[in-house]
Amino acid sequence: MIFSLILGFILLILGISMMLTRNNLIKIVIGFSIMDTGIHLIIVSIGYIRNRTAPIIDAAVNIKDATSQVVDPIPSALVLTAIVIGLAVTAVMLSFIVEMYKKTKSLSIDDYQELKW
Amino acid sequence: MDIWTKIFYAVISVVIATIYGLALGGVVRKIYARVHGRYGPPVWQPFIDIIKTHAKRVAVSHGIMFYLGPVFRFAGGLGTYLFIPVIFGSAVFANFSMAGDLLLVMYFIFFGQLGMALGAGEGGHPYSPLGIARGLSQMTTFEVPFALSVIALAIQYHTLNITAIVAAQQGSILNWTLFTNPFAVVAAMISMLGMNMHSPFSIVLAPQEIPIGPPIEMNSSFLATLQTNRGLFVAAKLILFMNLYFGGATNLVVMIVKTFLIYMFSVFVGAAFPRFRPEQAMRFFLKWPTIIGIISIIFVAYL
Amino acid sequence: MVNPIYIIILSLITGFLLSIFDKIGRKLSMTIFYGVLSFNLFVMAIWFYRLLVVDVTPLLINTAGFVAPISINLRMGLQEAFILLFSNFIALFAAIYLFKKFKKAKISSLVLYLILSMGVNGLVMTRDLFNIFVFLEIVSISTFALITLEKNLKSLSAGFKYMLAGGVVSTFFLLGVIFVYYFSGNLNLDFINTGTFNNLGMIAVFMMSLGIFIELKPFPANGWALDVYEATDSGIVSVIAVVNSAAIFYVFYKIMPMIPNNLLQLLGYAGLLTFVLSSLMGLKQENAKRLLGYSSIGQMGLLISAVVFTTNAPEFISILIVGGFLVNHLLAKAGLFWITGIVKKEKIADWGVLNHSKPLLILFGLLLFALASLPPFPGFWAKWEFIRWLIMEKMTVVAVLVLIGSLCEIAFLFRWFNLAVKKEDLQESQIETSHSMNLPVAFLAGVLAVIPVIIMKYFYQIDLIHLAPVIALIVIFIIEIIPSKIKGILSLITLGTYGYYLYPLLSGLQLFFAVIFIIGGGIILISTFNRKGLNQNFYGLLLMMILSLGNLLIAKGYLEFFLNWEFMTISSYLLFLRGKNARNSSFVYLIFSIAGAYLLMLGFAFAPAVSSDMVLLKSITQIQLPLVSIILMSLGFLIKSGSLGVHIWVPDAYAEAEDDVTALIAGILSKVGILGFFVLAVSAISHKPDIDIFYWIGWIGVLSTIIGAFLAVFQEDMKRLLAYSSMSQIGYIVASVAMLSHLGLVTALYLSFNHLLFKGLIFLAIAGVIYRTKTRNMYEMGGLIKKMPISYISVLIGIIAVSGVPPLSGFGSKWLLYSAFIEKGWYLQSGVLFFASAVSFLYLYRLIHSVFLGQLKYEHQNVKEAPIWFILPQLIFIIALMTISTFPNLIIQPLNAIVGNYIDSSIVIDGYKVTSSLGYWNGNQVMMVTMGVFMVPLLLLLLLIGKTQKVKQFNIVFAAERPESPQTTHVAHNMYAHYKKVLGGWGKPRILSFWNGVAEWTHSLGNLFRQFYTGNGQTYILHIILYMVVLYIILGV
Repeated sequence: MIFSLILGFILLILGISMMLTRNNLIKIVIGFSIMDTGIHLIIVSIGYIRNRTAPIIDAAVNIKDATSQVVDPIPSALVLTAIVIGLAVTAVMLSFIVEMYKKTKSLSIDDYQELKW
Repeated sequence: MDIWTKIFYAVISVVIATIYGLALGGVVRKIYARVHGRYGPPVWQPFIDIIKTHAKRVAVSHGIMFYLGPVFRFAGGLGTYLFIPVIFGSAVFANFSMAGDLLLVMYFIFFGQLGMALGAGEGGHPYSPLGIARGLSQMTTFEVPFALSVIALAIQYHTLNITAIVAAQQGSILNWTLFTNPFAVVAAMISMLGMNMHSPFSIVLAPQEIPIGPPIEMNSSFLATLQTNRGLFVAAKLILFMNLYFGGATNLVVMIVKTFLIYMFSVFVGAAFPRFRPEQAMRFFLKWPTIIGIISIIFVAYL
Repeated sequence: MVNPIYIIILSLITGFLLSIFDKIGRKLSMTIFYGVLSFNLFVMAIWFYRLLVVDVTPLLINTAGFVAPISINLRMGLQEAFILLFSNFIALFAAIYLFKKFKKAKISSLVLYLILSMGVNGLVMTRDLFNIFVFLEIVSISTFALITLEKNLKSLSAGFKYMLAGGVVSTFFLLGVIFVYYFSGNLNLDFINTGTFNNLGMIAVFMMSLGIFIELKPFPANGWALDVYEATDSGIVSVIAVVNSAAIFYVFYKIMPMIPNNLLQLLGYAGLLTFVLSSLMGLKQENAKRLLGYSSIGQMGLLISAVVFTTNAPEFISILIVGGFLVNHLLAKAGLFWITGIVKKEKIADWGVLNHSKPLLILFGLLLFALASLPPFPGFWAKWEFIRWLIMEKMTVVAVLVLIGSLCEIAFLFRWFNLAVKKEDLQESQIETSHSMNLPVAFLAGVLAVIPVIIMKYFYQIDLIHLAPVIALIVIFIIEIIPSKIKGILSLITLGTYGYYLYPLLSGLQLFFAVIFIIGGGIILISTFNRKGLNQNFYGLLLMMILSLGNLLIAKGYLEFFLNWEFMTISSYLLFLRGKNARNSSFVYLIFSIAGAYLLMLGFAFAPAVSSDMVLLKSITQIQLPLVSIILMSLGFLIKSGSLGVHIWVPDAYAEAEDDVTALIAGILSKVGILGFFVLAVSAISHKPDIDIFYWIGWIGVLSTIIGAFLAVFQEDMKRLLAYSSMSQIGYIVASVAMLSHLGLVTALYLSFNHLLFKGLIFLAIAGVIYRTKTRNMYEMGGLIKKMPISYISVLIGIIAVSGVPPLSGFGSKWLLYSAFIEKGWYLQSGVLFFASAVSFLYLYRLIHSVFLGQLKYEHQNVKEAPIWFILPQLIFIIALMTISTFPNLIIQPLNAIVGNYIDSSIVIDGYKVTSSLGYWNGNQVMMVTMGVFMVPLLLLLLLIGKTQKVKQFNIVFAAERPESPQTTHVAHNMYAHYKKVLGGWGKPRILSFWNGVAEWTHSLGNLFRQFYTGNGQTYILHIILYMVVLYIILGV
């Protein structure tokens, strides 16, 4: 569906721009999450085919004609994995932020530039 | 020719050249005195000096190298002379010129200088190394035009064999290098001023600053040996120049006349000019004479 | 046969169960943990063996009971096995290295580590794009978490930046993958055909490729990686830099067929750029781990460009190149990271602490040498083939950039090495280490050392005699505990045996240089018997150098020659490094030598093939070398011989080396450049190059002669003086060779031999003097003739020979030289040479006077003659010098014959008389006459002065003043002040300031580029996004 695809891209760009512009670590992670969501939306939209049903073989779907009746199941499968992974990354990021905050009591990314060059 | 005859001839040749060189030294002293407005010593004064210094009762030596210094020096003079054919076509005066060519002579000149410098060095007197440092430095600079001039000769005559170079200049006075390659001769004559260490290039002996320089510690027979060598060495250098640039000599008289005149060049210049400072003297050689030397090469090689 | 899928299964299962086992006890969980890692390695070893040796077909593993593309499938081929063998190997040993930390850490660390290892295995084996994404994320997440093994602010902030960057990159990768799927309807690598994609599809491929590519840390989108390298625990970082990188690199390799060619080429250049710039930036690094980080990203860049640019290469070559670089990087980098963890010093300047642990220092050196792609390590062969391939493909610029990058890399690596070896450790701190940390390093080094043998035996069939230098090094290292003298004698015996082995293989020119290298080396070696104690790490290097010099003579083909050339460079560098204050001088020597070697490598790469069953010294004379080849090789040889412009390594290296080593270097090592140059000249005689390049080389030689002489005049340090003198003398030789005439070549060889004799002689005598007086400054000596008469005689004879005063053999060389020059028509050049030869008197007199003559210093009243071991080789040299002076045809005749092989003789030898077209010289007669004229005044004087009066020191005719002390009376310091005025600017070392400028600019440039890495995580994200944009724009254009 073209609408959700565009929405996905908008979210993606929003997320990235948030990651680039926000100073607060938490907000950066939120940006990351938005970006992640955007990409998940994109994945799902790609698999969607108008006027077809969910790729579940049951009474509504004839096994023989399954390929012409259902949407592409693979993106839907992929997106589940992607969501899990995104969740894990977000969790690790947040746990890092907690640890970092404990050390410096600061959530500004500018306070973590000691390593450079 | 068997070796003993050869040696016998060499002895004759050396004795004559030494006597001639010493006498020449006497004449020069006379000339300088007259220019200075003095009466001057007799012409045979150098002989008297040698005998007198030999007769000194005490001979002070600072060590073996000091002892050998004058030996090296005199050997250098002897060797230089002996590797030059003195008189064209004469068996008596051909010396040992069959052992090597012009390059040998040029490098053998260093033999005595080096040995003397070492001997004087062991003397331990600060003026010796000062004089030597000046002398060696000046030597490096006047060698440049001289070397260029010799290279020009080698190009011109296609040989470094002194006898062959003399032979090529026989026949007419116009065959002399002086006329066939005047630039080479000019460069070489200027560098000879340095070699002979007369004013304005007398920075090595420089009596007022570093009284007589290298030989300052030399005494009695050491000094006498040096004095003897001075006569022989001057003769050897003059004969070399005569051979290379002024047609050589076919007999003793011609040799004496030519060498005397060649020597007078540096004597007159010396009498007329005051002394350079060391760096002035050296810079001088690296400028005009060197350029003239390069011109002489271009003249024979490319024109 | 174990199905490799069990690696994944087992890791997963144990990963989940490990925390339960841990309840029983850490011992059990640790046992299981290491058991699984060992199992992984074991499986891969079996597979690798089977695929390589038994030659079974690669295994395709389908999952879920379906065949690809319906299911996800894994592949186990030779390449996968190769990558995983090394990855699992490093993973296991990194875990062993981390043993102590793991023992105390939470069990989750172990679990994460297992998952990481599983992810890597999956990443390499899987053939499914989405699966790649999944494994990538598994690896990343477990890595993120493992970074917190050390919870400090640095590692946390670095890890966070890593996550930000990694998150963005993997998002792009996923986006790319999903659109690739959209356009191809497939996720399996083997079934996607990107050739049919439209423009949008290409964007998808672009995103996907860049996603992987940026994971490989291209410049400048790699700041996050550097921070991680710097901040993370050494054990973990070794896994990140090595295991992860290798796996991701392999992913890149897997998707390469999908990447359109223009993008691929672009990525290749991006990799190259990364390599060059990171090497450049590494120059400014002072932090050890960050330095290794720069090296890592550089190596990854190099790997990428290697794999991209060799896609068309024959399998043999591409395996050697990519595999060589990869293995080299994996093993060396891991080992070095581990060592940083053992040493625990952040600043490379503090690494002098390594001196407290010699074995560790040696391991460190070994790994560093490997990382620098020096032989015999795998990187060396890879670089050799890579450069050759690039030149063959006409990618000259790439080849040059690779070499420039390598040179910078060597510069920063060896600056570090020199600091570790030479910098005094002021804090006297100790290295705390344990076997579990040392063992993995040692094991890695061991593996690195075995691989070359495999390469040499199976890839090249190189005669193992070319390993003799290394074997000698190792053997002497093993018997290091026996006294120095016995090792010295063993070394002499080795040289003798080696010479005996070599003799039947040699003739003509080779034999001549063998005499110089082996016999000359052997004689100088005698002087080292003076060394006391154990004298560790000396004879091995010495033997290595001499053997590699000898091997140069029998090397067949370019590679063998180059191999030994590098061995010679390494060993001489290490010998130089032994000097007390040699940190900088040996570094400069190494940089110039390596640059020279690279030029040589390029020159060889441009040259046409030579027959492989003839020694290179012969075969290269029979081919027409292209001009560029001649120029490059000449430059290489000129650097080695220290010619003008590239001579600046000479004075410091000579001066700061140990004194007997200097004699060896000056006597024999300085001839190796001449050897190469000579052969080049011979080749040019029969195959004229288009431009008379040798004319200009001749001028370089001539100018080296005069400038070297000028500079020598003003030295106060006698070894520096002699070093410049060597530069001057070698200049004569170079100029003679460049004439390409018979007489010129004879002169060159004659000079070379003479130079060995007189420089060996003088340097050994000087070594004795330094040994006794403990100083190199000439003005601090004086009057030593009375204390060290034999040394004096040696120096005297030496300087007479140098200066060319008859009757010694030096004059023969001068005579030959001028005759050759005038004959050739190089008139002005010979004028300059005359000047130089006269100037040599200045420094020679200064040397002998300031040291031996003049006034003896009070502190030297009790100095003794040099030890017998210094005197003995001097006597040998004196005898040799006097012999060839008196009987010059002993040397002239063979040389005439050698050169006669290449070009018609232009001189006539009749008895002792040599006649050229210009003049003649009878050495024997000159000797006799000189003896005669010397004896006459001597006898006369002895007769006239019966007895001389001996006087004490200072009893001199000093006007109106009484000399106080030797210091005020001995004219030595700044002896030629007036000459300095004469020469003006010519007497100043100007070239040095030029090279200093080059160094300065290079460092500034490196500093400029690294400003990209601001340390801000958001900037890093911006870099990544901009990087993709810029690359896309370039691609569009």
